[in-house]
Amino acid sequence: MKYDDIIYLLPLLSIGVGAIVLMLLSPIKKFSIDKLSWVALFFLIVSFATNALNFGMVYSIAPYAHLFSYMLVSDTFSGYFNSIIIAGGIVTVLVGTHYFDKSNMLRGEVFSLLLFAVFGMLLLVQSNELFTSFIALEIASISLYVLIGFQKNNVRRIEGSFRYLILGSMASIMFLLGVTLIYAGTKSTNILNIASYLSSHKTEDMTLTIVGGTLILITFLFKIAAFPFQNWSMDAYEGAPLPITAFMASTFKVAIFGFILRFVLVDFHELKNIWSDILFYVAILTMIYGSFLAIFQTSLKRMLAASSIVHTGYLLIAFVSIGSIGESAATSIIFYLIAYFLSSMGAFGMLSYIASSDHLRVTYEDFRGFSHVRPYMAAMMSIFLLSLAGIPSTIGFIGKFYIFIGAIESGYTILAIVGILATFVSVYYYFKLIALMYFYPSPEMKGKIPPLRGIPPLVIGIMAILIIWGGIGNTLVSYFPGIDFLIDTAKFAYQSLFMG
Amino acid sequence: MGIGLLTLIIFLPLVVSFVLLILPVGMKVTRNVAFATTVVVFLLSLSIFFRFRLTDYMQFREFHPWITTYGIYYSLGVDGFSMIILMLITTLIPLGYLFLWKTKKAKGYWASMLLIQTGVTGALLSLDMILFYFFWESMLLPVFMIIGIYGTGNRIFSTLKITIYTIMGSLFMLVSILYLGVAFYNEFGVWSFQLSDLVQITTLTNLQRTLLFFGFMIAFAIKIPIFPFHTWLMQTYSNSPTGGVFILSSIMAKLGIYGIVRFVLPLFPHQYVEFAPYFVGLGVFGLLYFGIAALMQQNIKKMFAYSSASHLSFITAGIFSLNIYGMTGAAFLIVAHAMATGGLFLLNGTIEHDLGIRSISGLGGIAKKAPFLTLAFALMLLCIVGLPGTNGFVSELLIVFGLFQFNHYVGVISALTVLVAASFMFWLFQRAILVGTDNDVSKMKDLDIKEMVGIFSLAVVIFAMGIYPHWFLYKIEPTITHYLVDILKVGVGS
Repeated sequence: MKYDDIIYLLPLLSIGVGAIVLMLLSPIKKFSIDKLSWVALFFLIVSFATNALNFGMVYSIAPYAHLFSYMLVSDTFSGYFNSIIIAGGIVTVLVGTHYFDKSNMLRGEVFSLLLFAVFGMLLLVQSNELFTSFIALEIASISLYVLIGFQKNNVRRIEGSFRYLILGSMASIMFLLGVTLIYAGTKSTNILNIASYLSSHKTEDMTLTIVGGTLILITFLFKIAAFPFQNWSMDAYEGAPLPITAFMASTFKVAIFGFILRFVLVDFHELKNIWSDILFYVAILTMIYGSFLAIFQTSLKRMLAASSIVHTGYLLIAFVSIGSIGESAATSIIFYLIAYFLSSMGAFGMLSYIASSDHLRVTYEDFRGFSHVRPYMAAMMSIFLLSLAGIPSTIGFIGKFYIFIGAIESGYTILAIVGILATFVSVYYYFKLIALMYFYPSPEMKGKIPPLRGIPPLVIGIMAILIIWGGIGNTLVSYFPGIDFLIDTAKFAYQSLFMG
Repeated sequence: MGIGLLTLIIFLPLVVSFVLLILPVGMKVTRNVAFATTVVVFLLSLSIFFRFRLTDYMQFREFHPWITTYGIYYSLGVDGFSMIILMLITTLIPLGYLFLWKTKKAKGYWASMLLIQTGVTGALLSLDMILFYFFWESMLLPVFMIIGIYGTGNRIFSTLKITIYTIMGSLFMLVSILYLGVAFYNEFGVWSFQLSDLVQITTLTNLQRTLLFFGFMIAFAIKIPIFPFHTWLMQTYSNSPTGGVFILSSIMAKLGIYGIVRFVLPLFPHQYVEFAPYFVGLGVFGLLYFGIAALMQQNIKKMFAYSSASHLSFITAGIFSLNIYGMTGAAFLIVAHAMATGGLFLLNGTIEHDLGIRSISGLGGIAKKAPFLTLAFALMLLCIVGLPGTNGFVSELLIVFGLFQFNHYVGVISALTVLVAASFMFWLFQRAILVGTDNDVSKMKDLDIKEMVGIFSLAVVIFAMGIYPHWFLYKIEPTITHYLVDILKVGVGS
């Protein structure tokens, strides 16, 4: 029994151990950034592999239930999210090392902090208890605050970091207050216990619990940068070193969604209609605001940051639909997270690779005529942008397809239409970059751009192929896992939530 | 699992294009291989033409699961209507290549042309709405590239304009498709996006259907373009390279018409009949409006662009005329117009290639320097004008017949307009080609052998279709009759 359970904790443990080992190694001069990155990679891959052991099954287990008193859970759902988060860590390390290496400010601690952040996120999607979630959220957040402001001499970074820290702390307070209120109402902080309490009581009797749940939901909206709470994200994303921005924008969002999906689906199953109305407007405003923000950016980093707000809006569409079509909406969120993860990680990763050698500002203008200098890199970047814009033959289209069809199915056609309009606007700011890359003559900047060699372009290239594969799927090669496989996995993840 | 004929037709260009892009081959190899590919595709489609049975249902079906969770299938098929357009596309493209042969473009140009071919044939042959949308959107990207990279003038602005314009239309269509899918699911309990399934939906209210109808129509109207969605047309056409205009006017615009007949007609038969008068009106108005606009142009390409739009409006009027003459005529004019306009744009491309872009008054006296080009130009013009003996005549006559049946006044107006709107072409011919002026046209060279093969093969087809129309008509008639009798329930017209 005890030996069996350790398997389910291995992903978490190996990251935790890795983070501490890296922390101890980083002051030693002998360990260069390059070597440390291999150490980090080792622990990440061990974690990924142990996590993959249980892939393809529907299971739900509380490892060492007595020791942890049901605070942790390991199920298909967490396994699915774990694999995205760990993959995010791996990609960040692989693509980012080049960047960290070139910028003298960043030192080895970066990897330790990164692994702590990953640890927090893994814990977040595996926690079955609200205080554990809080601690996990804080571990991840605090690591990120530090990572954003790591480059001490850059005022922008310090500002972004502090703004995020202060607002993030406010959000954490909300979360704590929410947990307290829920505890006051239900006498438990365990998600399963809360669920059984909620299903056995009438809605009128649990005002406290509903208020508490709403506060937690606000924290969630803050962390994913939904409409009234989006302002921190632009500064934090811009201030952070590019690989960290990539990590934050794609991976952290995945973890937050992983937590809130579990929370809402398991706990507030009966009550999710209450929030549908609020989320309805939040989704619309998030999409509109993000679109406007994105149109006017000249820096690509800020444009991608703003567009990530729009993508939050798309995800919220599906979140609203959960009220009436639980399974397919949740599945579509899970699928979209993968699509968004691949596309944004690819786009940000590409930017960070290009920017690493001389820290260009990375504006639209920097990409003028890029395709003549680096045709393959331009092609990959175009694939990421097309996927973000949701053009067919990329995974982004399939993701949007699920979300919009879910919205129509649950009767929120208006949300689908706003989503379509936001997509339409997004075509402008994504295609602008493609046009700049391809339609202008070659500039004199060959020496500055790193060549298409080494690990980062390889990793980015693999992501580009995955995007296309995910968009075209398994029509022609039927035995290879394609779109159907991804959807089925997402469905298993959803089902495993209700086994506990 | 064998690879079907239609799959081969669709994806052969794509595969070749990728291989060419990746291999370090030069422009010439790329061009030659691309041309060979299109010829192979032409031969494949020819075998479809001859094996095509005279029925009204889909043939050469291919059906594989794709996204089974949502009942999306890789589903292909061809009926009389799409077969004739397939033949058109696969014939025109290799012939067009012969004309583009000497353009000094990079290999990306030829690779994009192949990608476009995959996009258009894919959209033409898909019977699953999502698959159709998939190709419909995908074909935009190579067009985006061709105009943006190889165009002239303010090409970047016009590329973004056409892209955003058409994507807007497509997105409205996407919402409508999704809405239909959900409606089908709610009624039957299973997901499907098959056209043959979606037509069975009965639960939608009239208002819903009308909205969906317009959701589809916007996408197609922009692509054709129908007045007032034509504002992208002029800039795009005048800034595109010759190949781009050729593809846009001869092939992509026709797909807009095809989309209406293939999808809008069976999905919303009631709305189709209900709104037919308006679209006939718009069509006849467009015929007139674009015809007058064409008269004013000082540049050959712009003039052709408007005259092309004018004919496309006429075709639109034809397909909404709700009788067999109008619809068969429209199907026929799609082919005739694609050939003639495509030929004219290509000929204009050679003039531009030799002399640079000039206004009509800057040309003149080309006939002496280039007699064969003049002859080819004249043949294409005759087809556009509708000289008896060309397929232009047969189709325009049929549409005018159809419009007469629809409404006498509309018939009279269209009959007069077709003549008037077309005759200005002769004026152009006289000014730009025939009459000698002081302008220096000494750089003009006559057609070379490849171009002659290209253009005179087109001319042969034009006359063959004009003299023996029934060779072609009998292939599409069962399909059109099926549309009119079984779907629209208006009868074939007396």
